[in-house]
Amino acid sequence: MIPSFLAFQAVGTGAEHGVPVELPDFFSAVGPGLFPPGLASFLDAWAVNIFALACLFALAAVLLRGAAGQKDVPRGIQNAVEALVEWFQGVLGEILGRHTDRFIPFLGTLFLFIVFMNLAGLIPLFRAPTSQFEITLSLAIVVFLYIQATAVRSFGLRGYLKHLMGSPEGLVGWLLAPMMLPIHLVSEIARPFSLALRLFGNVMGEDALIAAFTGLGVMALGFFDSPVGLPLGLPFIFLALLFGMIQAFVFPLLSAVYISQVLPSEGDHCHA
Amino acid sequence: MNNMLSLSLPLTVAFAAIASAIGLAMAISAAMSAIARQPEAAGKIQNSMVIGCAFIEALTIYAIVVVFILQGKM
Repeated sequence: MIPSFLAFQAVGTGAEHGVPVELPDFFSAVGPGLFPPGLASFLDAWAVNIFALACLFALAAVLLRGAAGQKDVPRGIQNAVEALVEWFQGVLGEILGRHTDRFIPFLGTLFLFIVFMNLAGLIPLFRAPTSQFEITLSLAIVVFLYIQATAVRSFGLRGYLKHLMGSPEGLVGWLLAPMMLPIHLVSEIARPFSLALRLFGNVMGEDALIAAFTGLGVMALGFFDSPVGLPLGLPFIFLALLFGMIQAFVFPLLSAVYISQVLPSEGDHCHA
Repeated sequence: MNNMLSLSLPLTVAFAAIASAIGLAMAISAAMSAIARQPEAAGKIQNSMVIGCAFIEALTIYAIVVVFILQGKM
């Protein structure tokens, strides 16, 4: 459970309505006491990026542990990581088919990185970096550029332009092409925004919910001057665990669907 | 203006949630009966269901984001 002194501060620093918008993190709670004022405000402004970096290092540590000293009969972390990779291969294999192995490294890393970032918000004094739109938007822009590069590589520049015009054939097709092109362009550009907004909205919503109920729990016993509050936020932590995993799974899954649309495969076309 | 927003912002989320709940219910019930009919295709159906659910749910998220943006004007 989140220590109540943090929740007290959340109530204190919360918006003017009295309900906290988000729980305080390390840099906003204890940073001002530890660092000189200039450094503290700098760190507070960059807190999200620092947490994202911490998640990245934690992820790298886990994966390097899993990949170091590979044995034929895997044990411990190597076993867990291998099971995870195999599961992810199976899931993506149904979307990407024979191209799966090309995209597993990128999409799998994306999945694990987002899992780490989503669940970081549940650790006291941490904040989920994905609850900031800048972080999710930058992830989505990376996916967008990756999709465009994959498309140009698989169709060629001219072929990709033709694909954007709806692969026109015959007179009717070419007449419709000027109409298809803007539609496809808009949908290409809207994709990273919808990816980013979906992740950001879910994670921020969960965090705001937990913060609001933790604040309520503290306020409920506030008239006692009780040192601990009611753990009203507890059920929503389990909800956040579930949704954090699902959203982290959906992000690379949708990326895989978008990638599969720009691959020259005749078979499994998934028009989503 | 203030009162209008404080009434309409929660209603925005409520209506978006109602609509996407109906959409999710239809999608999930169809997926469930499909899985019951063909348990061996469960993995494939589940994947497409999750993708579809993400698209449906995104609309509520858009509503929430709009509400959060407008909350600053209250």
